[in-house]
Amino acid sequence: MTWPHETYSKIKQLPLEEQVLPGTSLCAGCGGLETLRLAAKVLGEKVVFVNAAGCFTLLAVYPFTPFHGSWLYTTMGSAPAGAQGIRDALDVLIAKRRLPKEEDLKVVVLAGDGTTYEMALSATSAAIGRNLDFYYFCYDNEAYANTGVQLSSATPYGARTTTSPCSLQHPAGTVREKKDIFEIWRAHRPPYIATLSARYPLDLAEKLARASRIAGPKLLLALSPCPTGWGFDPFQTPEVARLAVETGLWPLKEAVQGEVTHTYVPKRRPVEDYLRLQERFRHLFEPTRQEAAIRHIQDRVDAYWSRVRAEPPR
Amino acid sequence: MVRIRFHGRGGQGAKTAARLVATAAFLEGWMAQDSPLYGAERRGAPMTAFARLDRAPIRERGMIARPDLVVVADDSLLADPAAHVGDGVEADTVVFVNSEQAVTQLLERAPCPGRLLTGDLTGLVLAQLGKAGALSGPLGAVAARLVGLSETNLRTALVMELGELGLPVPVIEQNLSMAHACFELVQPVPLRQNGDRPGQPASLRTPTYEPPTSGTARISALANVTVRKTGGWRTFRPVLDPEKCIGCWMCYLHCPDGAVRMTGATHPLIDYDHCKGCLLCVEECPTLALISEREAGLVRRSS
Repeated sequence: MTWPHETYSKIKQLPLEEQVLPGTSLCAGCGGLETLRLAAKVLGEKVVFVNAAGCFTLLAVYPFTPFHGSWLYTTMGSAPAGAQGIRDALDVLIAKRRLPKEEDLKVVVLAGDGTTYEMALSATSAAIGRNLDFYYFCYDNEAYANTGVQLSSATPYGARTTTSPCSLQHPAGTVREKKDIFEIWRAHRPPYIATLSARYPLDLAEKLARASRIAGPKLLLALSPCPTGWGFDPFQTPEVARLAVETGLWPLKEAVQGEVTHTYVPKRRPVEDYLRLQERFRHLFEPTRQEAAIRHIQDRVDAYWSRVRAEPPR
Repeated sequence: MVRIRFHGRGGQGAKTAARLVATAAFLEGWMAQDSPLYGAERRGAPMTAFARLDRAPIRERGMIARPDLVVVADDSLLADPAAHVGDGVEADTVVFVNSEQAVTQLLERAPCPGRLLTGDLTGLVLAQLGKAGALSGPLGAVAARLVGLSETNLRTALVMELGELGLPVPVIEQNLSMAHACFELVQPVPLRQNGDRPGQPASLRTPTYEPPTSGTARISALANVTVRKTGGWRTFRPVLDPEKCIGCWMCYLHCPDGAVRMTGATHPLIDYDHCKGCLLCVEECPTLALISEREAGLVRRSS
């Protein structure tokens, strides 16, 4: 059964208005920026962004901004708290009739994986607990990429970062598994969570449209291929993004009121196709092929999808 | 003391080039020091790297304000005010620019006070690797050659430094053969060594500020980032063949920067002022209506 598209069934229904303008200093071929630009189209103009420190710091280097609206910059640990303050201020202004209801703004946190998976996790947990009405957009490039690619808990097993290199003790590089932030959010029972990939723009737009109709905390988790950090040429961003989904490593799914639906079920190419494209996994193939590590990554994906198949449709 | 300043764009390999020439000099018995300087920006934005070589211990630190040799990784940097290539360049400073163009052509477009040399390192890399890769090996080799270091020591430095970066053996071998070509491309030049002159005592410079009303963007201005042109980041540019275009929106949707516009929702128009040359659009185009062309030299052809 295919996932029904209620708002966007054709590419050309996407709004032409640009919400993120060109001229920012982010890397050429940034998968995170590609995703944000598409997501912002759907969110529209009435948005205030709350930006945790990270690569997206470079969106609005004073005194320049790519947005038509406001942008609040926060520390990595306090983006959800910043969102809470803005949401409260808007609610107060509306209640006092100093702001017409139709001029209300969407409050959108922009955060990288370091913020999302680690530094702001307690602030996020509290914000979800308070049922804060906000969007949490995470561009997950699987490392602290802004500071030169250090290990984060979003870094997958087998990837190499500057702080988890391929070494005699740890030939595979990163030894621990990627933290499952989707499930951590889901355990809080927020009304909406979705994973995104810019390579699948219709799926992305539909999820943003669904999130827009729901009040409360909403996570939009985007895998953001990072040419600089993952070690591939910028023009390969689409291929890397596509293979992340087609190998099953990045499942496209949503959870509405905690109910998970996979919005796209790939035919599942071997994970090796995805790993081979990237410098951060090259030590798994050269100088000697680390069969066990590659096998381990494949087994994890296989196990995930067999669990998905085993779950009875609800 | 020989002071070398490299100018590149993040990702072009200027930092490693400085390291290569310093290591090669060290192997040759010099004292050596190298350091990079990045701004807040990323891959594609101008950056500098420095190397100091001396027979005596080096007690100087920090940026090189008056270089003896300047090595420029991309001729578009000459016209980029943010790159400050000409800072401290005097009549006897040697300036090597990676460019397809001859010295006379470059001088017509960007006056440069120093002794200008050019060579097409990007062409060399394209021929050797079949794609545009980092220029660290060739840049380091050119600098080593101009200073007069031996090819043997440069080769050792290449193996040491590129090996430490974890590059695969075939890529290191390709860099060795490119280094050889660079040694044929340029000859050692007598460098002035301004360390032999009495140094200027350091003085505190008080920065001067424009009045806040002139020239600064207003913080309340919206979407003003477009005044910052990122078109200078490109090595390749996407070029559209309107005949083959079916107006499918793929290039428009996937451009991370929004540098592709749709005119009348049917035809893409590339904004070369802001296109960073990532070529996602070329990759996404289903009908091969978009092809990539190497950027032609200093002045970006306007669309």
